Amino acid sequence: MNKIVKFYHEMGSPPSFYRITGHWLKPLLILALLLTVYGLIDGLFFAPPDYQQGDSYRIMFVHVPAAWMSMFIYFIIGVSGIIAFVWRMKVAEAVMMASAPIGALFTALTLLTGMLWGKPMWGTYWDWDARMTSELILLFLYIGVMGIYSAYDDDPRKAARLAALVAIIGLINLPIIRYSVEWWTSIHQGASISIMGGNSGIKEWSMLRPLLVMALATKFYYLYSMLHRARSYLLRTEQNKSWVSKQFIEN
Amino acid sequence: MRFWILLQRDVLVAWRKKSNIYQPLVFQLLIVTMFPLGLGAGAQTLQKIAPAVVWILALISTLITLENIFKDDYEDGSLALYTLSGMSLPVAVIAKAAAHWLTTGLPVIIFAPVIAVLLHLPASAYGILMLSLLIATPIFSLLGTVGSALIMNLKNGGMLLSVLIMPLLAPVLIFGAGAVLETTLGNTPVGHITLLAGCFVLSLTLAPLAAAAAIKVNLE
Repeated sequence: MNKIVKFYHEMGSPPSFYRITGHWLKPLLILALLLTVYGLIDGLFFAPPDYQQGDSYRIMFVHVPAAWMSMFIYFIIGVSGIIAFVWRMKVAEAVMMASAPIGALFTALTLLTGMLWGKPMWGTYWDWDARMTSELILLFLYIGVMGIYSAYDDDPRKAARLAALVAIIGLINLPIIRYSVEWWTSIHQGASISIMGGNSGIKEWSMLRPLLVMALATKFYYLYSMLHRARSYLLRTEQNKSWVSKQFIEN
Repeated sequence: MRFWILLQRDVLVAWRKKSNIYQPLVFQLLIVTMFPLGLGAGAQTLQKIAPAVVWILALISTLITLENIFKDDYEDGSLALYTLSGMSLPVAVIAKAAAHWLTTGLPVIIFAPVIAVLLHLPASAYGILMLSLLIATPIFSLLGTVGSALIMNLKNGGMLLSVLIMPLLAPVLIFGAGAVLETTLGNTPVGHITLLAGCFVLSLTLAPLAAAAAIKVNLE
């Protein structure tokens, strides 16, 4: 069989998913830690101060990657929710439920760092601006997914299917919420990076570098944390299967 | 055919237990009393917040009734019968939503001017207030069926239902209250109303499917 096809099928079955991802955890964690340390040192000490905001802009190196992750992870949850709901794959359920708390944490971190930055810059911790509001609503979506799951904790399969449904509904609604809030009001500054050029966005490479490193670091941290959680999720939900007891006898 | 029977039955059940119908209205009246008490009774202050308060009250008073859309049917087994009868589940959901709208949405619309008078809403905005609620209350009922189907076999699902539904209702609130607000400021509300109508069409087509999927999972 083609190697990629074989890998794909192996990742769909809980025992081999558990076995394969076990080898990935340590490298992912090391990568995440190294990149975080490098990115933070580079961002906090070596990147030049902003011409307008001085040094306080440096919170961006945490804020912006966290904001990217908060949306990226919800997208992952939505996609694995569709897979879990349509094909009833246990691994997709595990990935979905493992991602939710991490995503919620990144969302909370985004809001928190944004508020801390907002006080010296805008003179207020909170302003009902479009992006802050939709980030807050994103947090509610995360809480909804986790809430419906924990409400049905006596039957994990059913809980995961209902949570998947909630995640899909949220995924459909996200653009609607986003644009409705956008039309409603806005004072937030423009996007930090514009891929297509344009006038807004960071041009200075020494500022961009730590930002991109931190973005990578959060991705690796997410992968590490998600796989770790997904593995224990599978152990918990499959506890009566023979492969789980074999794991414990071997170790 | 079965759609009408189901609708008739649900309206009748709600009518027999009249507290279902007047409770949201009493709730609105109670809460609206709190605003002048807390804010001061100045007509100017109240006028400013009136579009939002009338709208949020309509929203919350509907929200507290959503939990029961499917609960009784689930508990006495009639929901299982709908699915066994071969009736299309999304159609059944639309019938439930229509019955819910007739027994809570419609009273809320009719009652809205009373709340608006208490808050000194400018006379020019009454028409748009009624129109926006007329488009939006069916959305509450339709999205409510999704939330209600998700939590129908939970004991205390009310709080969870609010968490699930509130993000979906945020755009509705923005466009609905926005339409009334624009009118009080002397602008045209056409944009908001059109977007609100778009939300209605979207929830009419998608919400019954989502609710039916949730019912199926819950009955498995």
